[in-house]
Amino acid sequence: MRRNGRERDFSQELSSEIDAWLRGDTSRRGALARLLGAGALAAAPLLHPRSAAAAWRAAAPHYATLVQQAKADLASPDTPLGRAQAEAVRASTEGPKDGSAYRAVEAAKKLKGATLNMTYESGLQALEPRNFSGPLWQDLTGINSTVVELSHPDQYSKPIAEHIAQSGAYDILDIEPAWIPSLADGGVIAPIDDYVAKHMNQADLDDYHPLYKFLPTYKGKRWGFFDDGDVFALYYRRDVFDDPKLQAAYKAKFNQELRPPTSWPEYDRIAQFITDQMAPKIYGAAHFRKAGSPGNQFDFLQHFRANGGKFFDPTTMKAQLNTPIGVRTLQEMVAANKASMPGNNDLDAVALWAAWLQGKVAMMYSWPPTGRMSENYAQRDKAINFVPASTIAGKVGYTLVPGNPEMASGYVKALAADSQNAEAAYLFMQWTTCPATSLVRVMLPYTLRDPYRLSHYTSPLYRSLWPSAKEYLVNLSNSANVSVVDLVMPGAQDYALTIDRMCTSVWAGEDPAAALAKADAEWDAVTAKVGVASQRAAYEQFMKLPGAYADHTIKTLGMAVTLS
Amino acid sequence: MRDVPARLPPLIRSGRISAWADRHIDWLLVAPAVLLILALSIYPLAYSLWVSFVNYDFLVPGHAFVGLGNFAQVVADPVARWALLTTVLLAAANVATEFALGLVLALAMDRQFRGRSAVMSLLIVPLFISPVIVGQFWSLLLQRPFGPVNYVLGALLGHPVNINWLSEKPWNFIALVLADVWQWTPFVFVILLAGLTSLPREPYEAAEVDGVNAWQAFRYITMPQMGPMVMLAITFRLLDATKLFDTIFMMTGGGPGTSTYTASFYLYQIGFVQFHLSAATAGSWMFLILTAIAISFLVRRLLRVETV
Repeated sequence: MRRNGRERDFSQELSSEIDAWLRGDTSRRGALARLLGAGALAAAPLLHPRSAAAAWRAAAPHYATLVQQAKADLASPDTPLGRAQAEAVRASTEGPKDGSAYRAVEAAKKLKGATLNMTYESGLQALEPRNFSGPLWQDLTGINSTVVELSHPDQYSKPIAEHIAQSGAYDILDIEPAWIPSLADGGVIAPIDDYVAKHMNQADLDDYHPLYKFLPTYKGKRWGFFDDGDVFALYYRRDVFDDPKLQAAYKAKFNQELRPPTSWPEYDRIAQFITDQMAPKIYGAAHFRKAGSPGNQFDFLQHFRANGGKFFDPTTMKAQLNTPIGVRTLQEMVAANKASMPGNNDLDAVALWAAWLQGKVAMMYSWPPTGRMSENYAQRDKAINFVPASTIAGKVGYTLVPGNPEMASGYVKALAADSQNAEAAYLFMQWTTCPATSLVRVMLPYTLRDPYRLSHYTSPLYRSLWPSAKEYLVNLSNSANVSVVDLVMPGAQDYALTIDRMCTSVWAGEDPAAALAKADAEWDAVTAKVGVASQRAAYEQFMKLPGAYADHTIKTLGMAVTLS
Repeated sequence: MRDVPARLPPLIRSGRISAWADRHIDWLLVAPAVLLILALSIYPLAYSLWVSFVNYDFLVPGHAFVGLGNFAQVVADPVARWALLTTVLLAAANVATEFALGLVLALAMDRQFRGRSAVMSLLIVPLFISPVIVGQFWSLLLQRPFGPVNYVLGALLGHPVNINWLSEKPWNFIALVLADVWQWTPFVFVILLAGLTSLPREPYEAAEVDGVNAWQAFRYITMPQMGPMVMLAITFRLLDATKLFDTIFMMTGGGPGTSTYTASFYLYQIGFVQFHLSAATAGSWMFLILTAIAISFLVRRLLRVETV
């Protein structure tokens, strides 16, 4: 007993050390030195999955058999992540009996022996099914899984190629919502409504944030489960914005308070002001503007619509980019570029994160991992080692992107139409996106899945990950309330490519009006190629989607989620 | 040929099958190779020809015959025309620079000196690196704000250097030429050095007796004799340079705008990003024909030089 007591004391001390390190309260070296001093043997449960399984057996004997078998990478059960994992296992094995997790597992057991091939974005995204959901699902159901890692563009093109070849190579596809119309019309993905009716607890659909609940629907059918809340948010340095000297100087110059911007002109003004005052130590802003980096298309789409822009004339389907609103949008973006750190136009998303985490930038907008990495909630030794450790932990505030943030990409788990294991594939999709399992997946520090369910935003476990995690989650939900979504139409890839080309040519000096005119011509060519009539119908569908435009968001439709 | 069946084992010679095999042994021997060529070359080629005349576009259902529509679509696309021009310009700039540098290096190395082997080994290292890695390597070197090139230039020049190597004209073209020249100059150098070392010494000795200076020897003895090697190096490099893709993909992504689209990059974009397969196939055929004409001209010149 004394030995067990010592182990428990040590375990608690260890947890607090790790938590402190994750919060950034102590240096990684310091934490490790203390761990080593306390005894490497006792530290093993957190450092090695097999030992973590041993800790699980001690803490959760109820799941001992399952955990003993599990090849899944399980966290120590006395951490928030470990507790979320225990809850996911409980929901899968004990129920509630009418829960989506339990029903999926029970139904899937009858299909034991099948192998599911699932596409995932290569790198961090793929670590999740490799380390967690794939092995755990196998342990729960006897269904194997193979993760096919693809680059992001290939996640669109490879399933098409395999569908054309009728190879049946994939069962589950990780796709952007914007690709749904093309893939659905092309017969690459199958609707899942019948499976949902048969296997799912419908209440779990209502647990999605309303923005994400509707995104996988097209032509009245559901084409998958939303699975990655990629909404942009504005992250800013509280220490910079709260600096009394800076506040006084801003007030003196503009007769306004220095605060996180709420409009794009204010964003440009503040970015330029901070750059003028603090560069080269800190620059006002930075963006990922590299050609082919998706930042250009997402930034333009959100900014253009925040300024009141519309993509097409709904009658003629002629592109409407080359308008005073389009010109103004590009001019404001160019002003933001000028106010940003040197090399702004060469940055991709990772380089931007590197600059931000090194404390070189006062504000930036990007995907939700920004907030987690800012607080050092990441396993750098295992996965996210390509960005530096955060030097700004505890100094980051969260707010809305001016106007309307883009729901930039996101992922939907879709069922491949050529799958030979359609029901097993569906059941995995249901299980992995259900509230309990998906909470674990969005909490895993080393992957890039982002919260999207109401139960994610309100989870006490998630909110305990770092001191300001609650504000982070509330801001993500608030952002989704006013978010605009990508152009969910056939040809979305082509339209987006045009935006990227247009933006980068403007960054290189082309006249915005000329670039917009060229983009309009390219959009018109795409529309003509796909068919004006069919695109008109698709555009009508798109305009019904919450988040299609700034005047048609979740908030303006009266469906906003209010969180405390 | 008639002796061949006689050498076959008795078991095979017996029976009607073996008699048939005896009669067609020449065809049987050739058949595997012919089948392989048909399956791996002729069929895909014929299939791609069919694809270029029909609709084979993921966004447009069906495979209706469209005649020359796909070809017309590519010709009418300003991005395609620009990509072709960029291909010509980049190929010319790359090959010309590589030839000039390769020749200088070959002349410098065409003599014995201490450490020559080590220098040779170092010079040809870039040849063995995958072009994708070369693109990534130069991208990291040149990318602002983290790449070291601007910093080093600034230190050398004594003032800050802020060149947008990858996202501003003409620096993006210079960066692409730099990467290509770094990798492929050794190829030209090796071919030219092989040519130089194989030249007979007698004409130089005679010229020395006649009081010919070094430049005159190079101009009137070395270069004329090096003609076939020069043509060989240029032909091989042009063949490769017109297919430039990897470094574009890694360094500029074709941007800014479409300014660094080459023909290969353009075809990749419309074929495998936008999935307009029939247009991409039609474009590939046109590009193949254009390249074949240019290369045929060069090869004919090369053969003519060799026979002179």
